[in-house]
Formats: sequence, C-alpha cells, structure tokens
Amino acid sequence: MPTAASSDLHVTIVTPEDTVLDTRADFVALPLFDGEMGVAPLHSPLIGRLRSGELRIRQGQQTALYYVEGGFVQVANNEVAVMTGRAQPAASVDPEAARQQLDTSLKSKAAGDEQIAIRSRQIDQARAQLHVARRAEK
Amino acid sequence: MANPKALDKRRKSIRNIRKITRTMELIATARFKKAMDRATAATAYTDRVTQLVADLAKTGLEVSHPLLAARPQTDRAILLVLTANRGLCGGYNGNLLRAGLRRWQELTEEVAHCQLEVSGKRGISGFKFRGSEATRTYTHFEDKPAYGEVDEIASRYLDEFLSGGLDRLDVVYTRFDSIARQEVVMETLLPLGSLMPSGKGGTESEVTEEATPEPSPYEFLPSPESILEEVVPTSFKVKLFKCFLDSAVSEQVARMVAMKSATESADDLIKRLSMQYNRARQSRITSELMDLIGGVEALN
Repeated sequence: MPTAASSDLHVTIVTPEDTVLDTRADFVALPLFDGEMGVAPLHSPLIGRLRSGELRIRQGQQTALYYVEGGFVQVANNEVAVMTGRAQPAASVDPEAARQQLDTSLKSKAAGDEQIAIRSRQIDQARAQLHVARRAEK
Repeated sequence: MANPKALDKRRKSIRNIRKITRTMELIATARFKKAMDRATAATAYTDRVTQLVADLAKTGLEVSHPLLAARPQTDRAILLVLTANRGLCGGYNGNLLRAGLRRWQELTEEVAHCQLEVSGKRGISGFKFRGSEATRTYTHFEDKPAYGEVDEIASRYLDEFLSGGLDRLDVVYTRFDSIARQEVVMETLLPLGSLMPSGKGGTESEVTEEATPEPSPYEFLPSPESILEEVVPTSFKVKLFKCFLDSAVSEQVARMVAMKSATESADDLIKRLSMQYNRARQSRITSELMDLIGGVEALN
C-alpha cells in the first residue's frame, strides 16, 4: 500500500509514437470526457475516458501544460498513465493551424452520422487546441 | 595474358561500388536505430493498453464488441501487403511477395470478393508483374511511418468493417523478433479475435477471473462498456501501426545485412583483382626484361 511518505504521483503520457512525458508530480488535472478532474496522491484507482483538452501537471511551484487528444487514463497506486493519440506541450501548439482547422471544419458540410461525428470531433480538437494555446500564452 | 590496365579499371569500379554499399550500410544502420526507437516507444503504448484491457476483463465484463466477433460467412476480404519502396535489401521484398502471392491465391479461392492493397513500390510492381493488380496502393510509408497516416487507413478499414463492406482483413508483413530474426507473417487483424496478446494466456486468466469474481478496484468513468467501446478500435489501430513499424525496422535490418555482405564481397573481389593485376604487371615486366636481355645478347 502506498504510504503518505511516498505521496507524489508518477505521471506518464504515452502516444503510439512516443513517450511524451515520464515524470513525478504533486497534482494532475485531467480533461475527462465530461469535465476536468484533479488527481492528487492517494487517489482511488480509476480508469477513465479523456477528451481533447488541457492537461495540467503541478510539481512544486511549477505547472506544466499539455495538450492531449482523447484516449484513456488509468490511475492506480499513485501512478497516472495517460494513453492518447497525440500529446504535446502547450507551448508548441500552433494556434494558427488550429484556427484554420476550426474554420475549415466549421465551413465544411457533413452528411451522414459518420461525417458529422468526424466534423464535430475536428471542431472539438481545434477548439481545445486554441484553448490550450491561449492558456499557454498567459 | 590478362591486360593489367583493364584489370585496374575493374578494380577501380569495384572500389567505387564498395564505397556506395558501405555508405548505404551506414545509412541503414542509422535509420534502423531510429526506427527501432520508434518501435520501442510504440511498445510502451501497447503494453499500457493491454494492461488496461486486462483490468477491464477483471470486472467480469463480457468482452464483446462487433470488431471481436468472427463473421459466420466471409464474403469480402482485403489483403494488405507491406513491402518496401526501395530495393537493395536482400530477400526482404522477395520473401514478402512470395508469401503475399500465396496468400492472395488462397484468398481468391476462398472468398468471393477480394481486394488487394499493397504498400511500397517494390510490392506494387512485383504484384503487377505477376498479374495481380492492386486496388489500392500506398507509397508514402518510408522508414518513419506516422501514426496519423496509419490512423487514416485504419479508420477506413474500421468503417468498412462495421458497415458490412468488409468481413476480413489480412496483413502480410515482416515481423521483427530480434535483430537477428525477422520473419514474414500473415496476421488477421479484422475480426480482432482476442484483445489479449497470444502467448500470455490472456483468455485463460480471463476465465479464472470470471470463475472467482473479485471486485475490481477501479472506478470506471463513464462505464466499463463505454471504455471497451473505445479501447477496441484503438487497439486495432495500434496493431496495424505496429505492423508498419515492424516492417520499417525489418527493412532497415535487411538492407543493413545485405549491404554489409555486399561490402564484404567487394572487398574479396578487390583483393583477388589486385592479385591478378600484380601478377599480370609482374609478368609483363618479366617478359619485357627477357626481350631486352635477348636483344642485348643478339647484339653481342
């Protein structure tokens, strides 16, 4: 059992292409499918779905911002494992490209459930990227 | 008598070839390392997903998903063959073509509507030469396949499979076991069958878990079913991505080995030609000397 002495989190973010992050942290905020959720040490075991959005990792006084694109999170024994299709530090998110994607997907016409789903997913992703990029500038 | 000048010319050209093969070997080595790193990174991801599935299975949840179920009748099938864009990698493309062609013939006999998809210029021309035209071809996969590109193809397969336009997807590729061992394998990716990797006895442990249901420590958000729904397509995509990665790594290994042996043969050839050249040169000098001596003797 984890004791209070070992009360920091081990956070990993993996994508199929790369292990983006492997670090220790005091606190993690995850973009869960229905809203943000904070995970502090000694959190109860959990498996959850993620949506595209901002992931915050606090270590001491420093807070790191990441953009993640959907996927899952598994929390157990003070380990937070994030599996996602794409992840990058917020500073490297390109707001211009995101705005363009948002504009083109907003203008594009979608017919059929499938295309509508793709379109709304693209819009969500672009909005989430823009949001993260804005937050990074502050 | 061999002409020393011609021998020297041949030796020079072989030296040039050796330079090229040596460089290609070095390039292949560097690319292999990079491709290998990517493959290892992907393994980290697949391991995590596998563990997640194992934890899901512990809830006693009936692991059922349209992608996992076998179709009673297979009417439409796709065969995807992953080859290289370039040659000069030993038997790599040849082995793939042979296995792919054999599988293609079997498949066309078994299944009414078959489609052939080939990645890599070598495979495309190879299949064309043997009279099987590919319906779809991909040439943009080099030594660094991007997940986004594979994701596109994988999503198309998923859509077709779910809408009933596809009953089976087979992939012929070169699996990378170790640096000394790569083999051409055929894998059925759709339907997925079991989510557990074979060899780890995934299904058995599942059964025992179900026999003695243990309360899962995990809280599922939103629910195990919803997570399973998302995990299954992801795990298919990752599997397909892994095929592409393995192919890329194996190609570089094959090229490395082929170029290494080419360099070695060039070395041998240069050695032999040097010897012949030296002998020819020596015998020419000797015969010239004999001529001189003979001339001097005739004068006396």
